[in-house]
Amino acid sequence: MNSETLNTLDTYSKNKYKYGFVTDIDNEKPKKGLSEDTIKFISLKKNEPVWMLEWRLKAFSKWKKMKEPKWANLNFPEIDYQDIYYYSAPKGFEKKPKDLSEVDPKLIETYNKLGIPLEEQKVLAGVAVDVVFDSVSVATTYKGELEKLGIIFCSIGEAIQKHPDLIKKYLGSVIPPGDHSYSALNSAVFTDGSFVYIPEGVKCPMELSTYFRINAENTGQFERTLIIADKGSYVSYLEGCTAPKRDDNQLHAANVELIALEDAEIKYSTVQNWYPGDEEGKGGIYNFVTKRGLCAGKNSKISWTQVETGSAITWKYPSCILKGDNSIGEFYSVAITNNFQQADTGTKMTHIGKNTKSKIISKGISLGKSQNTYRGEVSFLRKADKARNYTQCDSLLVGNQCGAHTVPYIDSKNNTAVIEHEASTSKINEDQLYYCRQRGLSHEEAVSLIVNGFCKQVLQELPMEFAVEAQKLVSISLEGSVG
Amino acid sequence: MNIQDNYLKNRKNIFFSQNKDIQNHREKLINNFVNDRFDRKNNESLKNINLKNFIDFKYKYLISEETSVINNNQENSYSIVSVNGQCSNFKDDKIEITKILDEDYNDFSENNTIEKNDHFVNLNSLFLNSGFKIIIKNNNNIKIKISNIVTDDDLTIFQKNNIICQEGSSLNLIEEYENKNNSTSNILNVIKLEKNSQLNHFLIQDNSSNHNLIITSHSSCKKDSTYTQKVYNFSEGYVRNFHYSELIETNSEADLQGIFFLKDNNTSNNKTFVKHLAEDCKSNQVYKGILNDRSKATYFSNTHVDQVAQKTEGYQLSKGILLSDNASYFSKPELKIYADDVKCSHGSTIGPIDENAIFYLRSRGMSKIAATKILISSFINEELSSIDNQQMSEIIQKKLIRYLSKVK
Repeated sequence: MNSETLNTLDTYSKNKYKYGFVTDIDNEKPKKGLSEDTIKFISLKKNEPVWMLEWRLKAFSKWKKMKEPKWANLNFPEIDYQDIYYYSAPKGFEKKPKDLSEVDPKLIETYNKLGIPLEEQKVLAGVAVDVVFDSVSVATTYKGELEKLGIIFCSIGEAIQKHPDLIKKYLGSVIPPGDHSYSALNSAVFTDGSFVYIPEGVKCPMELSTYFRINAENTGQFERTLIIADKGSYVSYLEGCTAPKRDDNQLHAANVELIALEDAEIKYSTVQNWYPGDEEGKGGIYNFVTKRGLCAGKNSKISWTQVETGSAITWKYPSCILKGDNSIGEFYSVAITNNFQQADTGTKMTHIGKNTKSKIISKGISLGKSQNTYRGEVSFLRKADKARNYTQCDSLLVGNQCGAHTVPYIDSKNNTAVIEHEASTSKINEDQLYYCRQRGLSHEEAVSLIVNGFCKQVLQELPMEFAVEAQKLVSISLEGSVG
Repeated sequence: MNIQDNYLKNRKNIFFSQNKDIQNHREKLINNFVNDRFDRKNNESLKNINLKNFIDFKYKYLISEETSVINNNQENSYSIVSVNGQCSNFKDDKIEITKILDEDYNDFSENNTIEKNDHFVNLNSLFLNSGFKIIIKNNNNIKIKISNIVTDDDLTIFQKNNIICQEGSSLNLIEEYENKNNSTSNILNVIKLEKNSQLNHFLIQDNSSNHNLIITSHSSCKKDSTYTQKVYNFSEGYVRNFHYSELIETNSEADLQGIFFLKDNNTSNNKTFVKHLAEDCKSNQVYKGILNDRSKATYFSNTHVDQVAQKTEGYQLSKGILLSDNASYFSKPELKIYADDVKCSHGSTIGPIDENAIFYLRSRGMSKIAATKILISSFINEELSSIDNQQMSEIIQKKLIRYLSKVK
């Protein structure tokens, strides 16, 4: 392990949860609880057209009739949906700032602490960042340059105002509001999120990125992201999440929809390190996320990469519907759980078109008293001739009080399709550990090195900016529980 | 007729119906059925099953006049003919076979399998009308062959067998199910292996298309014992093979294997479940399936490793070949692991026969059908060649050839 990583480990071990600070800004909230009034309030605040409000109300009426999905291997007290604020926006945001200088300096400071200085990033990294602070999109950088190419990258609220045709056509087309109770809930009360449209034949020249951050206490964050890649286009989208330290559990139910038309490719990367709760399992985010991509056209490709180290509860299954012939779906995941964290994550690959291919690589690492479950479904429908799937899910157990579970569902209805699944569960290899120790690494360093190697296959799929952060996160997550 | 009516009408003929506790227990089970109505949506083990046969059936049971025989034709070798789930008493210094007696209610009435909500096991507890108990005495090495015969049409047999292998004993058990009549057998085998005992259990299933067979087994292994099960399903009718194994003391082993050959409209549901509850135990679960025509199969496998079960080795493998575009296979290999010093893995594949292999054989002058047949045989060859019983191996080869003759 090089000295840089060691230094980072050192810094982080002193800091515990580095992102656990609260920015003191006055919030403007509606009353607690979920009702038609709350939804009308949100819709009014966001200045939405009537059809959007109707869409929300329809989803709400569906939600009222639904029960939460129960398949996951998770234990948590029932969520009181009436005890949550559904909208929170920093005051004075009815009028959006035109550039960064108009943004509240406190906010800018927050992001500086997170390690994404907007100013610097603008110049150095060439990343256009659409920052979501709680619910309102704070600033969108690089918009002008993207506009020249015809790329639309804005908050979903803005897209509803400016591009109603696209929204009407695609919103809810991949995740119908009535899919399950969390998607219905999100459809009813979503406040903000990103909207991306890449026009025909355009390769997006930079990686688009959003940093989500839950700030106000007792605020559920319901963001909605919609990415449409038109024929022959390409986009890589980064999403990072961090939340400050709180004792109460907070709810996060996001919906992300991706649509790839003919020959288009979407790469979606997530690093999730929401607050996981403390050593006793108190607090932490409840993360119920629905992510689904539709490979609608021929030769399209959707690739999900995720590094999940945070949240008290993770319930997340980024999936692909491979509808177009020759389309490709990929899923790369690293999930690390520590202390009392619980993760039930995986993917769903539905092969509909001919010659569709999918690949799943999942690495789960359990430490402390945590439970880590991989749950994935691969299904070949009758017309999916010559479809192909390869799945590999490996689990690593550190300590004897944690659990690692693998629950794959494999369904084939086509006799020319080939499906392969393999999984293994083991503890850290003693020989490898011995080798590292022999070369002078401490136990903790050795474990960290081996775990990083174990995850390499996934981490290398991440774009540069994220790969470094992700590697550090992996090390931090291990801290204190090995040896 | 629904379950409740069947029960009320035939209560007299069912075992232990005089016992108050059991009556109460059965009434609870009936309530569960009434409330649940075999809710297929939330119970994936009911996938593909034609439930009508099991919810609305007509209870009918006959005790056969022909006495079931036990032959001691060779040293240490026994043949049992079980007719409609009954067999006659037998006792010598090596084994003891007894019918179910009313005082045995503790052994037979409870659902002592891992899965408490299995509808078919509950039906078995509810309508229990036949079964027997086999005890292999200390340090004996025994071979037993059981032919399970159903005599009449429309019978509903709910049978429960207890098999106990005492310390140091070794049993080779072959069970045959070859019935051609329109009946339903629901059989539960509860197997106990004491210290240092061994059981090799073969099940050959070859029923006609109108015969339903539901077979569930639960084995528990004590110290240094080994349970090996091999299931060969050639049936043309519905078969459900659910096998549970618990490794309750150290250094015990469970090996659950199965091969099924399906064609026409047939379906088969399979499940294996191994629970590791002690250190240093090993388990292996291997199921292979060949599906032709419009057949459907499911296979659930589950390895559960308890927190105390360190040094566990648990392996699973599931392989399926789809020979036709209308066949479908669903597999769910599950691992639930709560201990860290384990080696566990699973693998699952579903696909057609390898085209390159077919091409290779065809380029050497073989017809496509011949090549396909050779590749199917080689797909299961590992399992077939591991059978050390010559007679068994021949029986299975014959049935395989019969199956392959229908492959086009």
